[in-house]
Amino acid sequence: MSSTTTVTAPTGSGHQPGSVGGRLARKSVLARWRPWLLLAPALLVLAVLLLWPLIRMGMFSLQDYGLPEIVSGEANWIGLGNYTEALTSEQLRTVVLPNTVLFAIASVVCTVVFGTAVAVLLASLGRVWRVIVSSSIMAAWAMPAVTGTYVWVWIFDADRGVFNHVLQSLGLQDQPVNWFTDRWSFYAIVLLNIVHHGFPFVAVTVLAGLLGVPKELLEAAEIDGAGPWRRFFSVTVPQLRQVFAVVVILSTIWDFKVFAQVYLMPGGAGSNREVLNLGVWSYVESFGQNRYGFGSAIAVLLTVLLLLVTVVYVRTILKEEEL
Amino acid sequence: MSAPTTSAARASTRPAAASRRPARRALRPGQVGKGLAVAGLLFFTLFPAYWMLVSALDAKAGASTSFVPADFTLDNFRFVLTDGGFATFLRNSLLVALATVLVSSFLALLASVAVARFRFRLRTQVLLLVLVVQMVPLEALVIPLFVQVRDLGLLGQLSGLIVVYVALALPFGIWMLRGFVAAVPVELEEAAYLDGASWGRMFRSILLPLVAPGLVATSIFSFITAWNEFVFALTLLGGEEQNYTVAIGLRSFFGQHSNDWGSIMAASTIITVPVMVFFILVQRRLAGGLTAGAVKG
Repeated sequence: MSSTTTVTAPTGSGHQPGSVGGRLARKSVLARWRPWLLLAPALLVLAVLLLWPLIRMGMFSLQDYGLPEIVSGEANWIGLGNYTEALTSEQLRTVVLPNTVLFAIASVVCTVVFGTAVAVLLASLGRVWRVIVSSSIMAAWAMPAVTGTYVWVWIFDADRGVFNHVLQSLGLQDQPVNWFTDRWSFYAIVLLNIVHHGFPFVAVTVLAGLLGVPKELLEAAEIDGAGPWRRFFSVTVPQLRQVFAVVVILSTIWDFKVFAQVYLMPGGAGSNREVLNLGVWSYVESFGQNRYGFGSAIAVLLTVLLLLVTVVYVRTILKEEEL
Repeated sequence: MSAPTTSAARASTRPAAASRRPARRALRPGQVGKGLAVAGLLFFTLFPAYWMLVSALDAKAGASTSFVPADFTLDNFRFVLTDGGFATFLRNSLLVALATVLVSSFLALLASVAVARFRFRLRTQVLLLVLVVQMVPLEALVIPLFVQVRDLGLLGQLSGLIVVYVALALPFGIWMLRGFVAAVPVELEEAAYLDGASWGRMFRSILLPLVAPGLVATSIFSFITAWNEFVFALTLLGGEEQNYTVAIGLRSFFGQHSNDWGSIMAASTIITVPVMVFFILVQRRLAGGLTAGAVKG
């Protein structure tokens, strides 16, 4: 990480821009308002298209908001009814929450462990192989979520997919299996998709950190008799604490929000109620059932969940230094 | 942004290469294990893309399974681009993505100069706001934005989609560009002022050229965001098939009973290739910017 932190080095030049701003401020009123003039267009867009919609989502969640309300624009307040329905529903407890939270935990663990292993492997390779392997990792990273998901669906297709074909020619199964109907195999495929798409970020970030660990520390540990595993967990990992914090939290935020990867799978768009997660449930209730109020309440729950993670994230950054 | 990473990489390969040479003779099993790991990793990362390409180039995709095209053909691509209507989807996506890039990069540049170059009241709060809005799930925003775009009468139109994408690309653009702006030495600005330049002149002649590489990286990121986006295209474009973008245009190849996998994979290849090319162009800078923005603030 130290290799990248030196790049922007805002701390070093941090007070200097201030002095420029300060000098300008004395010059004219225009200069004093310049930062706000520069910010105004962006803040306006964010306020109208991100903040106001968030507030409206909260308002919808307290209403019985369906198609008639959308057309007429009239409010139909029902208090916390949507929340009680969502929080007490069997669907949330047995299906949606496990599919969201347990899946996020599983995919964060898999992505970070696998990504770190790849980073360690990359760090031990010679230059030529490192370029080859990291280019192929980039290819996995660049695969758009939509096309990537379709490719995985095609690979695991029940009738003509290559996975069933290989299993059958190896004699491991007698007839094709539909992997998308069972909840566990469905999410195993989603997990594969997410790890495939998500580990490159972890690998590249951790690799940058690994290369910044002082060689002297590792050599000293080796002289003290520490084996490779011991050196990795007692020297390297503590050095990379900050990197791991960022990687874990960002992955958590991304993996809670998994949508297209579930929605585009067979049965994922609501026809198989067993595989709904929070995001898809909210979408299906809103745009499938026209229950926009109920969908908004679910969306609020998801947002609150993510906000909690975000607070941890922001505090991790703030602990490091001022923004 | 890329220079320190490469120099760090270079510095570390040298001792690694030196220490590996004697180890090669002693640690055969280790080398074999590493070779197997690399082979497995290459297979895992490349197989989906490879399989997509093979199926796209195979006239018999779906009819039989073979790991090289059994019946090599470009017909899938030809069908997708002509009768499949994918040429229209490509034009729509290109239009939406370019408009998003132009507007969001311009707004992000102005805002990032403000937060990177000036100290003013509420600056930290503005930055926190930018950081926090990035975390909001799109599925949560899609309901109110659907109502909002509907109220504006822009449902089913590309302009409605562009407006939303600008907002989605903006926070990350600001967050990334401020690192690039902060990296420009303040001394250069001061020298321009000493030469009698106004702030506007300094911005055009000093800051803009020096931030240009960062601007390119950020623009490509916004392009990819708009190009790949799925939920909003699905919701806001509704039944207007002539306005579909590539991400949802793909769905038209899914049949009621059987899917035309050759066409789906050909269309997927067409969508994926520009993203991969762009990604390889900016990956170093992007990775550096992401971590610098995330850790360093």
